[in-house]
Amino acid sequence: VNALFHIARILCLLAVAQAAPATGLPPGVMPVESIPAPALRLNDLDGTPYDLADTHGHWRFVHFWASWCGPCRREMPSIQQMQSLLGSDGPGIVLVNTAETGDEVFSFLAAVAPDLVPLLDSDGLVTEAWQPRGLPATFLVDPQGIIRYQALGGRSWEQPAYLEFLRHLPPGPTATPAGSR
Amino acid sequence: MRTPLPHVTLCCVLTALLLGSLPWACTAAERQWRGPYLETDALLIRLIPRTPDQMAAFYEGRGFARAAIERIRQTCFVTVHIENRSADVIWLDLDQWRFTGDGKPLPRLDAAHWDAQWEAIDLRQASRSTFGWTQLPALRDLQPDEPVGGNLVFPGTTELLTIEARFPVGADRQGTPIRAGFGGIHCRREAASP
Repeated sequence: VNALFHIARILCLLAVAQAAPATGLPPGVMPVESIPAPALRLNDLDGTPYDLADTHGHWRFVHFWASWCGPCRREMPSIQQMQSLLGSDGPGIVLVNTAETGDEVFSFLAAVAPDLVPLLDSDGLVTEAWQPRGLPATFLVDPQGIIRYQALGGRSWEQPAYLEFLRHLPPGPTATPAGSR
Repeated sequence: MRTPLPHVTLCCVLTALLLGSLPWACTAAERQWRGPYLETDALLIRLIPRTPDQMAAFYEGRGFARAAIERIRQTCFVTVHIENRSADVIWLDLDQWRFTGDGKPLPRLDAAHWDAQWEAIDLRQASRSTFGWTQLPALRDLQPDEPVGGNLVFPGTTELLTIEARFPVGADRQGTPIRAGFGGIHCRREAASP
């Protein structure tokens, strides 16, 4: 029994080691050299304005996407699941649709991730200012408004390695619990 | 498992003859992907030739102006998907790629070309943005585990296309480059819709 226990423990350690590489970052998440987040002032589907600068003090998960983009479509349910699993323990989610109409955004999200609240970058210029490497793109912005990490392509955000990473982002000096956006 | 497809096998043989020493993963292609395909320990590449009707429908569905659709219909789209599966940086640098049609160099219609087209027809900004994001980046330092995708666009042609790709390796681009060759790519020009 002891031998079995030790084997199981080693297997668990190996699994954890694989999920969290030596860098401490989950797969596909890269540190960024302290870039101040560009302006992000957009309206949501109801026309309610949102300004990223008003949410300083929290970590933010800023995600750019479009419904025509295959990896974006595959990733979106995992973002909703991540939000559900993290609750107020995670960063505020800022979901920016790139250059589509409200109807296109609504009809897509209502089917695959109805709990997420999108912002509309109707002409695509805010997306371009952030210079993502492609779509989908995710940036993690710290409580002081500095981009600290970016994710490469679509990720399985609901997986334990990502959830643990997002739960343990260092708090900022004025950090308070963050909900959606 | 799917049985090998005769046209893919023929395509592979022709490509091997055309491109000589460039790597060509025919076996994997026959089993997993109908189109041109290469998979190694370091890199996955898939090419999907598109028809003018497919591309016109895609952009029409996103509200592109008729004048833009007419220009898009005159061209040839190949969708490219690449994944860096190595532990090193691999460079996607389209200046290092060579495109030929029936043995003659074929120009790639790049961002500057499209900017001029859209300026000429005063295409709305949202469409310009969407079009831009559907293109394969001209330059990208692909990090380990990073995918990239998008379209290569060429002038419309009935000739078979050949793509010779060269990927510099390493953050300083000094590693042994990876080469890949794809031939027998159909642009599949069709009669333009009325």
